[in-house]
Amino acid sequence: MIDLTYLVAAISFGSLLTSTLTFSAPLILGALGGLCSERSGVINIGLEGKMLAAACATGYIAQASQDPVLGLTAGILVATLLAMLHWTLTQTYRIDHIISGMGINALCAGGTSLISKTFPELGSKQMAAFSIYVYWLCAWTAVIAIWWILKSTRGGLRLYAVGNDPDKSRQMGIKPGKVRLQALLGTGLLTGLAGALIVTNAGSFSDGMTSGRGYIALAALILGGWRPWPTLIAAVLFGLFDSLQLQLQGQPLFGQVIPGEFWQALPYLVTLVALAGIAGKSRAPAGLGKP
Amino acid sequence: MTGITKLFGTVEALRDVDLTVQSGHIHAIVGENGAGKTTLMKVLYGAHQASDGQINLNGEPVSFRDSKEAIAAGIGMVSQHYSIIPELTCLQNLVLGAEPGPVISYAAAESRANELAKQMGFQFNWHEEASEISPSQGQKLEILKLLWRNAKILILDEPTAMLAPDDADLLYAKLHELTEQGATVLVVTHRLPEVMEHCDEVTVLRGGKLIDSCPVAQTNPAELAEKMVGQAVTEHSPIPCNPGETLLTVRNLVVKGDKGNDAVKEASFELKSGELVGIAGVDGNGQRELFYALMGTRNSSGEIHLGIQNLTNTSTAERIQSGIRLIAEDRHNEAVIEDWSIADNAILGLQRTNRVLAGRSINRNTQAELAKNVTEIFPTKFDNVNQKFRDLSGGNQQKVVAARSLQESPQVVLAFQPTRGIDLYVAGLVYDGLIKATREGATVLVVSFDLDELMTYCDRILVMNHGEIAEVPAELRQDRSAIGRMMVGAE
Repeated sequence: MIDLTYLVAAISFGSLLTSTLTFSAPLILGALGGLCSERSGVINIGLEGKMLAAACATGYIAQASQDPVLGLTAGILVATLLAMLHWTLTQTYRIDHIISGMGINALCAGGTSLISKTFPELGSKQMAAFSIYVYWLCAWTAVIAIWWILKSTRGGLRLYAVGNDPDKSRQMGIKPGKVRLQALLGTGLLTGLAGALIVTNAGSFSDGMTSGRGYIALAALILGGWRPWPTLIAAVLFGLFDSLQLQLQGQPLFGQVIPGEFWQALPYLVTLVALAGIAGKSRAPAGLGKP
Repeated sequence: MTGITKLFGTVEALRDVDLTVQSGHIHAIVGENGAGKTTLMKVLYGAHQASDGQINLNGEPVSFRDSKEAIAAGIGMVSQHYSIIPELTCLQNLVLGAEPGPVISYAAAESRANELAKQMGFQFNWHEEASEISPSQGQKLEILKLLWRNAKILILDEPTAMLAPDDADLLYAKLHELTEQGATVLVVTHRLPEVMEHCDEVTVLRGGKLIDSCPVAQTNPAELAEKMVGQAVTEHSPIPCNPGETLLTVRNLVVKGDKGNDAVKEASFELKSGELVGIAGVDGNGQRELFYALMGTRNSSGEIHLGIQNLTNTSTAERIQSGIRLIAEDRHNEAVIEDWSIADNAILGLQRTNRVLAGRSINRNTQAELAKNVTEIFPTKFDNVNQKFRDLSGGNQQKVVAARSLQESPQVVLAFQPTRGIDLYVAGLVYDGLIKATREGATVLVVSFDLDELMTYCDRILVMNHGEIAEVPAELRQDRSAIGRMMVGAE
């Protein structure tokens, strides 16, 4: 019998719970932001950029104004404006969704970097922020809200319809452009919250601080089959194993020293395997990227 | 509707057409491909704007800027191109665009849906995904969508194109019940027996012009056909059939259906060179699965031989190279790539055949030749072979698909509803084309839900009922009711 109890002994379960919640909350918010967009048929790889820009805006405005409301509002506003830019580019000017999303990511990475380097004195003050619990509450409430909207409202049905077949939806008197505008407003709100959460966690903005979590959120969305609950599970699983790997790094396995990269890959591996097993048929919205 | 003219660019689709429809009647609109039937209906439905003319509804002049306004005025239309979204459930499809409120109570919606379905004699599992339902169920769902929207004037474009005779009769019976309750029904169709039997009035269009409009009681099929085509139509006279050696042998074929049941049960039959064989049966009795198995796109057990060649475990590509051709049921999804040009679609599926393949690339000369052939065998209206397939009218699309199956020396042509969506005259041409192929040595297997069509053209008729295949005895081949009984397993 191989003895793995020393691994379990290395885990502190109290801190594991807290860090899981901490790690998963921005993923949940980001992934749900992506869900709004992609369910309506708009491919959105610009989650990362929106979250980064929102983190930047929330951080600096909250520091400058010492007002948490103003800080969060600024973050949501910036993410929403970027979502609207994505809508205009893809719906009005019919630019490829991937290109528009990449452009937004590049714009945000460069823009926030420029701001943080040009005005280093901005980050000197203490940041006024809401309690982190407010954000956790937002993340979990958002899952329930989006699940309910999709399941039992007119808006949810139309979102579904437009995302699957914009042409046929048009025949039924629905305006896909309008539905997608509303969906992207949701994306702006949720990615704005995700960005604000990330900066609140860290205490102040630093360059590139979202560190790819927008993409991981996108992966959680895809693994979750574009459905709210499986997406939540994907995000939480990822958060859980991300905190687990931090605690387990450096521990030997079967008497061997395991490279840190193995532990770092663990969250991705487990999330993938778990969702392949439980998610069942996963299907992208049929109308993704269609005009 | 008075003086309706519709221009598409410089092309005149409708020229000064008048149409008067009595409320409470079933009014048939008949005409050839491109006669303007569908265009006229779309003008009424607000999907097209008339270039000139006036529409009056109950004596009041109206003008619809879009379909939404037409629906609000009580006019609904089921077009040939379905508006059902396959990823949604039947119930979601039903309410989409006409939801009762911002929050939908699906329980309440389902009970009203059941009421409407009961009124029409339909049955639905409302929570089933629409991708699972058959085309005929889809047609019924479309009609219910109109009733859900409280349409008082129902426009149906080829409503029976995918229904079995009994289902079609049932549909008309229910439409009559609706008209008795004050609804008005406009039917675009090319099936003249249907017009004679079920409709109150008929309007004939030809080349975008009104030819005649009269009560059905004052006319007859021959007269209508003549008005539609502009010349007397000759009845199909059977060409004697001289079957040669056996081409396709199917033994103990078992094919699983979508739900894991045996959709085709131990089917055995032979097709001989030189004969056109029809499969009669109600939609959903295994015809689709049989064709998938014969094409090799669905697993099956049993044996399939073409001449001396064993096709049992061969791929679809090999079967096509051996000379098996398919006229697929679902033209849009299974037969063509609509965004491709006519020329590209002309060789689609034939890309591995000897003359088309030049080394590793496509022989462009053969492609050009095939593109020319597929548009000329049956007279097709098109601009040039490089235009998108999507831009052809439904009937013209079907002609190209049918013509393609006759290219590059076919051995066995499997035709699923080959005349779907095309009118009498062209249907005759398509069958003549198929018959000509058989007389040149091929064999053709046709699935049709139009029994009259099979009785007119086929040399032999098989019947498919719950996955079992039986042959109609020679002496009963012209006995409509006997075949009808075999179709439902009563004999």
